[in-house]
Amino acid sequence: MGGKHGFGKVLAEQDEPVFHARWEGTVRAIFERTSGHFYNLDEFRRTMERMPPDAYLRASYYEKWLYAIEAILKEKGVVSEQELATGSSSAAAPAPGARPRQPPPLAPRFKVADRVVTRNLNPKGHTRLPRYARGKRGVIRKVNGPFPLPDSNAHGKGPDWQACYVVEFHGAELWGADAHNGDRVCIDLWEGYLEPETTA
Amino acid sequence: MTDQHHDHDDEHNHHPEAPSDVAARTLALESLLIEKGLLTSEEVDRVISAYEHDIGPMIGAHLVARAWLEPDFRELLLADAPAAVRERGYEYRAETRLVVVANQPGIHNMIVCTLCSCYPWMVIGLPPTWYKSAPYRSRAVSEPRLVLLELGLELPDEVEIIVWDSSAELRYMVLPERPDGTEGWTEEELAAIVTRDCMIGVARPQVPRMAVTG
Amino acid sequence: MNEIDPAIATLDGKAALPRKNGELVFQAPREGRAFGLAVALNEKRAYPWNEFRVQLVTEIAGGNPDYYENWLGALETVLINRRIVTEDGIRRRASEYRALKRDPVF
Repeated sequence: MGGKHGFGKVLAEQDEPVFHARWEGTVRAIFERTSGHFYNLDEFRRTMERMPPDAYLRASYYEKWLYAIEAILKEKGVVSEQELATGSSSAAAPAPGARPRQPPPLAPRFKVADRVVTRNLNPKGHTRLPRYARGKRGVIRKVNGPFPLPDSNAHGKGPDWQACYVVEFHGAELWGADAHNGDRVCIDLWEGYLEPETTA
Repeated sequence: MTDQHHDHDDEHNHHPEAPSDVAARTLALESLLIEKGLLTSEEVDRVISAYEHDIGPMIGAHLVARAWLEPDFRELLLADAPAAVRERGYEYRAETRLVVVANQPGIHNMIVCTLCSCYPWMVIGLPPTWYKSAPYRSRAVSEPRLVLLELGLELPDEVEIIVWDSSAELRYMVLPERPDGTEGWTEEELAAIVTRDCMIGVARPQVPRMAVTG
Repeated sequence: MNEIDPAIATLDGKAALPRKNGELVFQAPREGRAFGLAVALNEKRAYPWNEFRVQLVTEIAGGNPDYYENWLGALETVLINRRIVTEDGIRRRASEYRALKRDPVF
């Protein structure tokens, strides 16, 4: 949207109430209760900007907020499409700050102490596998997640949930013999980036 | 360590999430003003740290101080940092998952985000400019010892360094070791010597030379 | 503990800075950044504080509930009016960040 200077004068109402209708106050209240707990402000803005362009231009500020709140809470598993449509809750929402409800539990492929090797990806697009760590051998230190792989969300395919691992790499493996003995790097890596190390 | 705004990584190995429109405008404005020589990133940093308080290093510093004083709290902080934050009475903003890693004799932890500059800003405030710089982000993983030296911390050979690259959803923070000479200190006094740099892992808490004991 | 610049203290009513327990609250890094930019530039005499304040009040009156988006809009307007930056320059630079041609690092 950039600068809004092309859209004409902003019409400020005299003595305008803070909210034009009660529902706006409700949206504001929901935002204040959920923001920072189920999503952060950046996610909220980005979600708002995914609104279809013609709807976005016509919508009032609070209509955009409502759109974003609904979309984001659905995405995070806090509410379902059905609950929004029927207006009644079918399950307890996750406690604020807790991890949101997620798809059926996945069985992580790896466990702590497994030896893995990172794939030698050379993707055209974005990735969360740092370049210095491609095709390198490491050890699983912790199993986390599942977390949704952000790249999948960006293409509108919906989240791709994967286990995420803390993988420890020796400095020498990453940088060669010059690395100081004993120094190591721990990287958080999604399961899709890892293969079991086949050589003993 | 400047030039945070250009990253000519030909494969666009960035944090894959494009910033929102407002965030992009903010980034754009700051980068333009810096280019025009009207201000520096450090000047903006200084203003922010002068004004922020509730959200800032103090939350992290208090978590550290309490962990030093209470072994049970330390255990909770290391096992489940979000629970520890909430237990302490702070509102925990769960946008990402906080993980605290402890320094010990023989092990020193250091935090970086090579892909962008992720940072546990909800407990230790907005990151300093050098943390976001390309040199720090690339060299912290490849030559941590030298980077620490440049930042003023020299570690003995026998201390191993673990660098945590926060490439996914976790945000790391370091629990530094409690320095000698702080026996009998209150939580406030302890928190006061825990700086942001200590919690990033590029410094150690210092006991002021003129500290009055008792 | 925080010495708020008296000029900044003139922001009140709908234009008041968001606070919790008296301290400033930023919900995202871009908010703190926008705050810092406006204050730092004023300290360097790029514009008088009142000029920014008046513009901020105007932005807020537009009804956008996002305080720091209004703050940013006010700052942009003041700087554009003073020919320190151009609207087009901001727009182009912002699209580079959106397209991830520049590192979106705060």
